[in-house]
Amino acid sequence: MLRARNLLSSQKRLKSVRPGLQQSKKTNTQRALESFDDFYGSVFGIRWKNIRVALLTEHKYIALINNFGDVGKTAKELELNGALNVKSLINLAKENLEHKIKHSIESTNSRLDENLVKVLRKQQELEKYSLYPMGASESATSTRDQLIYSGKKDVNLNIDVDNVIPTNFGHSLEEAIEKDRYLDQSRMIDPKYSTGGLYEFMPANKIKGMEDWIPESDHYKYYQTQADFPLQFELETELCYPENLNLYAYEMGNCSDFKFPKRCLTGVLSHYLMDGASVLPPLLLDLKKGDRVLDACAAPGGKSLIMLQTLYPDILICNDIQESRLNRIRKVMQEYIFDYKENWENKRVALSQCDAKFLDSYDSFDKILVDVPCTTDRHSLLKNENNIFKTTRVKERLRIPELQANILSNCLRLLKPGGSLVYSTCSLSPVQNDGVVHMALQKAFNEHGITATVKDLSFIIRYLEDIFRFEHPKDMKYGQMVIPYLPANFGPLYFSKLTRNV
Amino acid sequence: MLRRFITNFRQNVQFLHRRQQYNHQQLSPSRFVVTAHAEETPLEQSHIDEAIRINPLLSRVHPTQWQRAHETFMNHGLDTSSFLRIVVANPGVLARPTRRIIDAIEHWRSCQFGEKFLFLLLTKYPELLDVTDELRLRKHISYLKTFAGTDKNVWKLLMNCPDVMEQSERRLEEKIKYLKEVMRVEVPEIIKSEALSKPLEEIRCRHVFLERLGMFKPRPLKVDPDEPSKNPRLYQITNTSDKTFATKVCHVTLVEFEAFKELYEREWQRQQDADDDEDEENIEKSSGYKK
Repeated sequence: MLRARNLLSSQKRLKSVRPGLQQSKKTNTQRALESFDDFYGSVFGIRWKNIRVALLTEHKYIALINNFGDVGKTAKELELNGALNVKSLINLAKENLEHKIKHSIESTNSRLDENLVKVLRKQQELEKYSLYPMGASESATSTRDQLIYSGKKDVNLNIDVDNVIPTNFGHSLEEAIEKDRYLDQSRMIDPKYSTGGLYEFMPANKIKGMEDWIPESDHYKYYQTQADFPLQFELETELCYPENLNLYAYEMGNCSDFKFPKRCLTGVLSHYLMDGASVLPPLLLDLKKGDRVLDACAAPGGKSLIMLQTLYPDILICNDIQESRLNRIRKVMQEYIFDYKENWENKRVALSQCDAKFLDSYDSFDKILVDVPCTTDRHSLLKNENNIFKTTRVKERLRIPELQANILSNCLRLLKPGGSLVYSTCSLSPVQNDGVVHMALQKAFNEHGITATVKDLSFIIRYLEDIFRFEHPKDMKYGQMVIPYLPANFGPLYFSKLTRNV
Repeated sequence: MLRRFITNFRQNVQFLHRRQQYNHQQLSPSRFVVTAHAEETPLEQSHIDEAIRINPLLSRVHPTQWQRAHETFMNHGLDTSSFLRIVVANPGVLARPTRRIIDAIEHWRSCQFGEKFLFLLLTKYPELLDVTDELRLRKHISYLKTFAGTDKNVWKLLMNCPDVMEQSERRLEEKIKYLKEVMRVEVPEIIKSEALSKPLEEIRCRHVFLERLGMFKPRPLKVDPDEPSKNPRLYQITNTSDKTFATKVCHVTLVEFEAFKELYEREWQRQQDADDDEDEENIEKSSGYKK
């Protein structure tokens, strides 16, 4: 009896201790936040706090209207709530940009003309004044007065120069010599302090450290040769917005919510809500009619759905590694595509379960979307379950960049020559972004002799600046990045477009 | 021997000095109000005209009412300039019966802030003279004293946020609990700020914003209380406009803070709704269990 009581009391004591222990234990999200504070704090500097607050706050959505549902009705409803059509926003931005460029060219031209006219007028006045030194100023109007006055000053100056220069020269020479003497004095080193300094003295005809100095133009050459694989950059100037794609978003600063999707007459859901930045990779992939497309890591299926809504791909292969993740894709497809089982499955959409780094249908795709597994920064800060910052997943986390590079280099092999792929991650880490692209390009060249052209997207993203906040293109090497910003709380999303060379 | 004498002498001199300083301090700033009224400047027509110019509502008041009210205040130790300030800010006082004015001052006197401090308080916030329910006033002041500690602290608190008088104990309790337990701010800092006159939602929103920016960390419980914390001070958080708070305290743009306010309000609402749903489910479950 006594023993039983003792046991009970000890259990109680344990129970009373436990909550305290639990409090001191770090959660996975806290661990993620600490690691980000440490890493991104050093990468982004003082901007990190703005990104941090945005990451920890609810993100913003974009609505993709389902073309298999009631398109007109849904679009009207969304517009009534204040959402804007992304297509028209892009067109507007295009017009504005073109107008700006034109305007700036015109204004520089007109400024040049004005300056020319001014100079000409000045010269005329000068000539006039030299011919009639007194009469001109008396008969001049008020505006001319000013001009003549300035002309007079010039003339005076000229006269001064003519007369005074020789004497001035002598004067200044003397002065300079005198100054130099003082300078020399000030530069003299008193031997009683140190004689060591004398040995280091160097005449000022050369700047120390200049030996390693390279002019900017040379710097880029050096940059290209430094990567031990051929690297080409090409500016992308055209953003082809698919005709059938209907995306709706709120402009920057508007934090309104979208309504939940409803069932349409055809039995499918009216619209799909996704993180706004996720629409960029499929959009930049520049799909064309009849393309053979692969979505290498497709789950949960949002990006695949966008590609299907354009109605362009001849066949879309949605690949993922786990059965459960494929089921999620299947569910999304069934909910959003009319007649999915009868007319689409295995005809225009095929699901495949394979590790993306071992896919082996080489040289067979026109376009590939490589949305690789990453630290999913926003998600890691929100959910404790299955978090990548779990202590038991440390090894997995550290090997993420390697995995990503393997997937990307394999996907480069899967592309037809001339085909293009978009690599994307939802992480801010430069290692997982530019670092991985570099690694993959190197690997693809070294192991398989594949070379690729990196598309410079810095011009195109200017069309989207009304909706997204981008990282400054100069800070990025191979791609662009949407950074979380409270009034436009999308992303983070890094994307880079590569085209396999023929 | 001589050395001891010298040290004693030094100590004595220091003591005298300190005492002088102490006396000086006591006399100088706060006695001002009390000593000023000794001159008893009479209420002149120019004073009334000036007051009417500032607050036109006063033009309706009859001169006898002016004189009567002025006399009442003078009898209770307030000088003419304080009287004028009170009247300009709270014209309703003039129309009141003398008895009510006297009662109000007496009620406040019973809070024992000391004459000079009371007058300072009443001159700064003449609305406080509107008090009628003595019982409620005493109850509220004694409640504030349990939180602030001393009468002096209650006075300081009232000088910073007079509207604590109008807030219910429950609301104040909520805010104090949040400030002390979640933000871990000490009582003296709360008294020095206007935190208690701000709604809890605003305090919470600003605190969470700072926390998510990584600029505010609750003080660890075991840390030395003398060690200065790196968090922004409470008065910087609560006594500032949205713009100053965003740009000067958080160093972000106003647009960002405004977006955050909107997003956080929605987030909080959603959280509350989810909690309510959970509670309902729990009640249903427990009732099912009982059956």
